[in-house]
Amino acid sequence: MEKMTAPPPNMAASPLPPPDPCFVLRGAQSAVHALHFFGGAQGQVHPLLLSGSLSGLVHIWSLQTRRAVATLDGHGGQCVTWLQTLPQGRQLLSQGRDLKLCLWDLAEGRNTVVDSVPLESMGFCRSSILAGGQERWMLAMPGRGNDEVQILEMPSKTSVCTLKPEADAKPGMPMCLELWQADSSPRPLLLAGYEDGSVALWDVSERKVCSRVACHTEPVMGFDFDSQKARGVSGSAEKALAVWSLDEQQALQMCRTHELTNPGIADVKIRPDRKILATAGWDHRVRVFHWRTMKPLAVLSFHSATIHCVAFATDGLLAAGSGDQRISIWSLYPISTDSSTPLLGHTEGGEVGAHASA
Amino acid sequence: MAVFDTPEEAFGALRPVCVQLTKTQTVENVEHLQAQLQAVSDSALQELQQYILFPLRFTLKTPGPKRERLIQSVVECLTFVLSSTCVKEQVLLQELFSEISACLYSPKSQKPAAVSEELKLAVIQGLSTLMHSAYGDILLAFYEPSILPRLGFAVSLLLDLAEQEKSKQIKIAALKCLQVLLFQCDCQDHPRSLDELEQKQLGDLFASFLPGISMALARVITGDFKQGHGIIVSSLKTFYKTVSFIMADEQLERISKVQPKPAVEHRVAELMVHREAKWVKNTSDKLTILIKKIIECVSGHPHWKVRLALIELVEALLLKCSQSLVGSAGPLLKALVGLVNDESPEVQAQCSKVLRHFADQKVVVGNRAFADILSENLHSLATSLPRLMSSQDDQGKFSTLSLLLGYLKLLGPRVNFVLNSVTHLQRLSKALIQVLELDVTDIKVVEERCWNSGPLGASETAATQPRSPMQRRYFRFFTDERLFLLLQQVCQLLGFYGDVYLLIDHFMELYRESVVYRKQAAMILNELVAGAAGLEVENLHENHIKTSTEELREIVTSILEEYTSQENWYLTTCIESEEVGEELTMKQSGLQAITSGAHTCQVTSFPAFSKPSPTICSMNSNIWQICIQLEGIGRFAYALGKDFRLLLMTALYPVLEKAGDQTLLISQAATSAMMDICHTCGYYSLQHLINQNSDYLVNGISLNLRHLSLHPHTPKVLEVMLWNSDASLLPLVADVVQDVLATLDQFYDKRAASFVGVLHALLAALEEQSDPPKVDESDTGPDVEPPLPVQIQIATDVMERCIHMLSDKNLKIRLKVLDVLNLCVVVLQSHKNQLLPLAHRAWPPLVHRLTNDDPLVVLRAFKVLRTLGGKCGDFLRSRFCKDILPKLAGSLVTQAPVSARAGPVYSHTLAFKLQLAVLQGLGPLCERLDLGDSDLNKVADACLIYLSAKQPMKLQEAARRVFLHLMKVDPDSTWFLLNELYCPEQLTPPHPSLHPVQLRGTMGQGNPYAANVLCLLQELQ
Repeated sequence: MEKMTAPPPNMAASPLPPPDPCFVLRGAQSAVHALHFFGGAQGQVHPLLLSGSLSGLVHIWSLQTRRAVATLDGHGGQCVTWLQTLPQGRQLLSQGRDLKLCLWDLAEGRNTVVDSVPLESMGFCRSSILAGGQERWMLAMPGRGNDEVQILEMPSKTSVCTLKPEADAKPGMPMCLELWQADSSPRPLLLAGYEDGSVALWDVSERKVCSRVACHTEPVMGFDFDSQKARGVSGSAEKALAVWSLDEQQALQMCRTHELTNPGIADVKIRPDRKILATAGWDHRVRVFHWRTMKPLAVLSFHSATIHCVAFATDGLLAAGSGDQRISIWSLYPISTDSSTPLLGHTEGGEVGAHASA
Repeated sequence: MAVFDTPEEAFGALRPVCVQLTKTQTVENVEHLQAQLQAVSDSALQELQQYILFPLRFTLKTPGPKRERLIQSVVECLTFVLSSTCVKEQVLLQELFSEISACLYSPKSQKPAAVSEELKLAVIQGLSTLMHSAYGDILLAFYEPSILPRLGFAVSLLLDLAEQEKSKQIKIAALKCLQVLLFQCDCQDHPRSLDELEQKQLGDLFASFLPGISMALARVITGDFKQGHGIIVSSLKTFYKTVSFIMADEQLERISKVQPKPAVEHRVAELMVHREAKWVKNTSDKLTILIKKIIECVSGHPHWKVRLALIELVEALLLKCSQSLVGSAGPLLKALVGLVNDESPEVQAQCSKVLRHFADQKVVVGNRAFADILSENLHSLATSLPRLMSSQDDQGKFSTLSLLLGYLKLLGPRVNFVLNSVTHLQRLSKALIQVLELDVTDIKVVEERCWNSGPLGASETAATQPRSPMQRRYFRFFTDERLFLLLQQVCQLLGFYGDVYLLIDHFMELYRESVVYRKQAAMILNELVAGAAGLEVENLHENHIKTSTEELREIVTSILEEYTSQENWYLTTCIESEEVGEELTMKQSGLQAITSGAHTCQVTSFPAFSKPSPTICSMNSNIWQICIQLEGIGRFAYALGKDFRLLLMTALYPVLEKAGDQTLLISQAATSAMMDICHTCGYYSLQHLINQNSDYLVNGISLNLRHLSLHPHTPKVLEVMLWNSDASLLPLVADVVQDVLATLDQFYDKRAASFVGVLHALLAALEEQSDPPKVDESDTGPDVEPPLPVQIQIATDVMERCIHMLSDKNLKIRLKVLDVLNLCVVVLQSHKNQLLPLAHRAWPPLVHRLTNDDPLVVLRAFKVLRTLGGKCGDFLRSRFCKDILPKLAGSLVTQAPVSARAGPVYSHTLAFKLQLAVLQGLGPLCERLDLGDSDLNKVADACLIYLSAKQPMKLQEAARRVFLHLMKVDPDSTWFLLNELYCPEQLTPPHPSLHPVQLRGTMGQGNPYAANVLCLLQELQ
């Protein structure tokens, strides 16, 4: 990754042509609102990409053939906003605006709904899970009350608790959630981005807010958290990214903000190797930043409508889903230790570095 | 039916004859005896054998000169007796043997007596029959050391005959008899199988004759070419049977070091040979010389049976004498291998059979010595190959390459010992590259073009046809087509047995190294892959492990990447066409310089970065390179089978791109590559292939449109795709169409031509979609306009662009645009809200096209007007009459006197063509627009003058056709009008009370309108 940290080549020189997607998946038939890579880790030869669309369908794409291998229809034509697979078994969780979380069994070519959880919030808030290898796992989802988050134990669907901000806090609706666990402690923690632009850290077992930091003046649309570096990044409707961190006392602190050319970030994702991050822009563009330095690395323009979501695969592949009904797949700064994706035609790291702008 | 069944009866009958013969030895008496013998049964004959033989033998033994004729008849009679009886006593056998063989010798000389050919034949026959009539045990006992002198006498006699005689019949008989004597007879009852001891005894005995036999036979074999193949075949058989018997490893193993004392007299003992090591070595050396001579002489023998016999010889000697004759193994293997590609199918089959047998028995691979010899041979062949390929004629090359092929077949996986030596691999590859050099001077290759757009040809038969035949190509260093087949096989075998990674790397390097090697290297790479997949390879080595599919796919992927890379796929193949924009030219000029500079038929090399005009040779070379690469893609598809589907996402786009190429050869090669893909990947037609993989294509198109200057052919790919698919594709291409239109907006000036092609294909596809999907109205509220169906939206967008391009400078573009516009109108016919405003905007440029453009354009514009007239007639009628009709009519009128006066050259002028176009266009349009009377009159007035016989014929015809249309609209007024011009008959009123009508048309002969008007009036009736 040395090349990435080096200053970009002479900016005055004529810029290379902008990078292209490796390929584009067509056929979602409506705007793409959720993306999730599945497999592709050791042992699984061909990773799959799951996409959720405005029209309520979930498509399963083979990245080997670049074609949809299955379509799941479980949300009555209502937008699918969140997709997540469980670590064990081939099970998929999908959240739809039909107020339902569906649990799908995908093993051995099946694609049936085995269970579902009713949602009680009409909001846009995406849920989150905390699942180790065990049978039991935890689910955080927007709760019944306007500002509540509900925690369930799964698969029994037993309610664990409801996280309700103190009466005077008034953060508004939760907009995005992330359950996680520090390496040092088994206590489940929840990061939640709120309508008022703040991000809060909840201690789930004690049902209390450990810390809260105001990141944005507009609602938090999406964030991602690097638990190793104890740093997170969030985007909102406004023209800036916020980077914040968590200290040993579990206190959230603003680190910096990063100004953007255009307002509106719908989603933020850090790559699994924690080297770069990508944002989904309302300006039809994906922006790529160096995670440690927040140096802008590339502006990926291809789409002709708002980007709703981005996702990274374990091997570093980036997917972006857009209102133009297309999903673009990009290979940038390939993860050097991994050479398992020769078909995808990696772009040379150095080349992309030259397009830095933002 | 024997007359005398019992010995008694027979004796009675034979006795007088025998006595008579004993008394008086004449031919007549012998014949008497023979005649009587015919009537005696076999069993009786056997009883009386000795008795009957007595007078005959007596006759032979009687001292004094005898007449040949008598001896001959005696021998023949003896032969008759022997053929019907058995010899049961050893003494008799020995004596008869001596007596018969002595018949041919003059007592004084060592040479056969100069006797008649009939006698010689009789004696040979007699000997042969004698040996067959002996009882098995008696016969074996006959071959004891003491017989050696007498046997030797007979053997040399027969060899003499075989070698010296003129008569073919005698030669063959002598050789046959020799085989009988040496226990090699083919007949069923003669030799019973011998046990080891018996074999050894015979071997010991025959060993004495080996030098004599082998040398004499070698002389026969290498003698006169014209002596007939039968003699050579027979000699070869005798030679190898004798040699392989005496020199058999199996026998020699059992020979004790010390010669046992033979229990025979000294004279005979001296003749005996002890086959110990030293003798074997000596004999083997001498035999090797003979064998080499024989092979040299026979392997090119014109008769296939001789070559077949040579294969038998090789097989026998290599199988039975692999140790004793190890020195001959080299030449023997070479001989075998050299026949592997023999022109005779029998020889080829036998050769393959033997090779397979050898492989099964591990004769070569299991035998270090042989394998070393083969590797050595291949080494030296590889070394001399480049020289041979440049110096030999086609026939010589053919045998050299056949030899190479044979070595590869026989060595199988061991070929890697040779390939692993860098120098040898280089030699081998150099020779292959050299001999495969193409002749690129044929100008036709560059000239032949295909212009038509539309569905690709020959698509229906994809599934039924096996592999598409290869394009005929011409090589610099050979003309014989078989040579190319051989070279293909050589490469396939290399790919099959050789280390395929090593080979692919090596030839990839050559491919990259220079344009001089590139085409050949690509041909070789194609065949290597086919070979590695085991296509068309006959495997002789059971346990050889083929390249795995996974590995193969990896290899193919990397070759494909190289083939379709920017610098190897986009080569200049024609002189600058309008489609290739400036950027591309700039980019390619450097490349072109390298390409043409390095090419052999390019005399001057251009300095880099100047812009040379590509020579025919270099373009030709480029065309072939692309064709070979395309053919390779087809081959790869076959190599991978269904697995190739996974590569379609990268491979199909470039192939389709070439399918739309203007160079005929390239387009053909691409089409046949696609057929290959169809065939192996299970698509039943090109359309099916394209439809099923349109997502991959669209992906490539949309990404390449982003960099149009780098990928100027992108619109062409979309065009070919659209022409070859159906409307089911539409949802998929919708976003790409938007990209295309956006790109077109950017590049109106530079790339209009290629984009118009796409728009044409697109609209043609839309037009085909007969049933537009109904929009679900329930979704939209009452106030909201339902969204337009996607094809209407597209047609609207396209028509918008057409309006801009109607005034393009380029004639071809204007023509194409009018076609597209026409289609837009058709597609939009049911959406007046969209169509009318656009038609309104298109009007001014359209008027311009009709009134002020090339005749071709005028015609095409009329067509658009007609279509428009059908869809929005009212809108069009008034405008046409106001904006266009006056101008057209005016120009027709003013131009008419000119054309009436003009000579024959006039028909080549623009003015003429314009007149013609207007006349041709007006008729159908008037009919379609349903013009009012006054406007119709305007048209008629303008056209009437052209009915004059003074006008050029074509204009008259066109004018007549105008009136035919007008008749359909208003027959009465047309009738009147015509009659005003020329009235063919006096009109008599139906009733006398009515006034006679006098029309203005004159009846006179001089009326120039007479002919045409008459013709038209006839139509009216």
